Amino acid sequence: MLIIKDLHASVGDKPILKGINLTVNAGEVHAIMGPNGSGKSTLSNVLAGRENVTVTSGSIEYLGQDLLALEVEERARAGVFLAFQYPVEIPGVGNVYLLKAALNAQRKHRGLPELDAMEFLALVKDKMKLMEMNESMLYRAVNEGFSGGEKKRNEILQMAVLEPRLAILDETDSGLDIDALKIVANGVNSLRHPERSMILVTHYQRLLDYIKPDYVHVLAAGRIVRSGGPELAHELEKQGYAWIGNETSGQEVSSGS
Amino acid sequence: MSTAIAHYQSEFERLGSLLPWQDSPQWQEWRRSGWAHFASLGFPTTRHEEWKYTSLAALEKLALSCAPAAPEAPQPTWDSLKARAVLPQARYRAVFVDGRFSPQLSQLDGLPAGIAVRPLSALSVRDSLGLQVPLQAVRARTPFAGLNAAFMAEGAWITAAAEASLDDPLLILYVTTRGGQAQHVVNAYHLAAGSRVAVAEQYLGLTDEAYFVNQVAGVRLETGAQLSHVKLQQEGGRAYHIGALQASQQGGSRFESHSFALSGAFGRNDMETALLEPGASVVMNGLYRVASREFQDFHTCIRHESPDCTSDEYFKGVLDGSGRAVFNGKIVVAQDAQHTASRQSNHNLLLSDQAEVDTKPQLEIFADDVKCSHGATVGQLDEAQLFYLRSRGLDPDHARTLLIEAFALDLLSSIGHAELRAAMDHLMRGHAHV
Repeated sequence: MLIIKDLHASVGDKPILKGINLTVNAGEVHAIMGPNGSGKSTLSNVLAGRENVTVTSGSIEYLGQDLLALEVEERARAGVFLAFQYPVEIPGVGNVYLLKAALNAQRKHRGLPELDAMEFLALVKDKMKLMEMNESMLYRAVNEGFSGGEKKRNEILQMAVLEPRLAILDETDSGLDIDALKIVANGVNSLRHPERSMILVTHYQRLLDYIKPDYVHVLAAGRIVRSGGPELAHELEKQGYAWIGNETSGQEVSSGS
Repeated sequence: MSTAIAHYQSEFERLGSLLPWQDSPQWQEWRRSGWAHFASLGFPTTRHEEWKYTSLAALEKLALSCAPAAPEAPQPTWDSLKARAVLPQARYRAVFVDGRFSPQLSQLDGLPAGIAVRPLSALSVRDSLGLQVPLQAVRARTPFAGLNAAFMAEGAWITAAAEASLDDPLLILYVTTRGGQAQHVVNAYHLAAGSRVAVAEQYLGLTDEAYFVNQVAGVRLETGAQLSHVKLQQEGGRAYHIGALQASQQGGSRFESHSFALSGAFGRNDMETALLEPGASVVMNGLYRVASREFQDFHTCIRHESPDCTSDEYFKGVLDGSGRAVFNGKIVVAQDAQHTASRQSNHNLLLSDQAEVDTKPQLEIFADDVKCSHGATVGQLDEAQLFYLRSRGLDPDHARTLLIEAFALDLLSSIGHAELRAAMDHLMRGHAHV
């Protein structure tokens, strides 16, 4: 699904990612953990195609294509989805309009007929139940005036509607209370699929109590310093990130299967 | 005398005997003083404070004919105009083609009791004199309003008797089909106590040749009268549009004015309302869009002359290409206009490096117990919003269009009249996708 090789990337003049290697196979859920400033969000942004990040070397292969050669919208249509850490508010653009335009852009790309308003509403209302969202949110502007929890739920709703092949969830747990976290996790879990891969980017182990990853990677100073199974997350929870300093100079670690 | 003034003088001499109400000394005096006003001021230059950013040099060079179209001149059909009309289904409409009223394109039968809509060309001398009431103040507002007073021959005269109402909005459509002409048209509104009128004035250019619409509107609202007014400029690519509007508002009256300057090489609007008695309120909103080398300029003035009046002014601008715009919003609060509530804002969206806007709020407050706020912004499309939309699969053009539309359409929610609001919404969405 996704093969990242020796990825280096900078924001401005500052190198942030310093040689990331990661392989994610279809159906796998990978958690990427790490302290603030370790490069977690930069990695999410590189995958989604944010322009403020410059890839200086390395490669990303997604379903056999060179992901870095694709524009932001081309990645989305090819099935890459980023659930934002801070979803932006877009006054004046209706939530339902965006959902429909996004889904139809993708369907068109795949040579499928566009859904009409009735078909679309039936689909989206179904997905809203899953996210325990009120239908009135469809008719509000994108994220405008949404609470933190509503924004995150709206991200997962978009994911549920778009059914991506590769979803990157950037700090999806931040700012969520426990009830909202459960709803979001439930939504994500229901989207697990043998053909769908997920990357959970998170600072805390808490999210992983609700979404069980297959692999956990620890990112520090722009490199993956350790990889393991879910137990690694618990270890981190106990020890914090302080021990990482000792290992950053350690051996190259590649992961996945 | 400048060449331009000499040109209009010769037009005035050539056409003088063809203008309406020749026998009336009042109109003779009206035209004479209008001409004198224009001739003494001439074309304003950028040395003039009110025209600092607004160059008329190109207009000044055009030798335009001030004669309205011949009655037998060919006209578009209503079917061909309908697709562009802001109110294609309007029950009542007054249509003017190249500065002349078109009875066959208009539909003014069955107006509600107490409501009259008449083309100037149909007015007898006796009926015409009422026009001077709402137009009295506006004719000295700018040099061009003076020029208009000298030449005015056509336009719409809308009156409402006390408590009468026109809720089905009236469409007043001015179509220009050929270049080379200067049209001096007038819209006059006199609404008696407690009456209500909704109207859309639309200026539509169907030619890419140069022409000049020199338009004047006078509005008089008696106690408790309400006017919902939309003005829409969709002029041709080489057109000049200069408008002046002056309203006077008695106690409890309400004037809702929404201006949309969507196309035309050059546009300038001078708009003023005077809140003369307690309880009068005004909404003076507008949107200007400029692209390529277009220019739009709004100079507005709201005069709080009496206590307990409110004004809301909200203008937005979308500027692309080498387009330029000017917004100058003046609010005057007289010394005894206590408890005035006045809000003004102007927000601009710059879509290119070459686009430019000059925005200037101008508050002159002489009363001490007032609530007045104002603010102006100039910004660009939000990169984070664009990225978000693209990350969901929308192509960049679609994402930009959506964000521009959202910025501009936000203004429509303030149109109180539901049908006018819906009509503008429909028109603007189409426009933004072009």
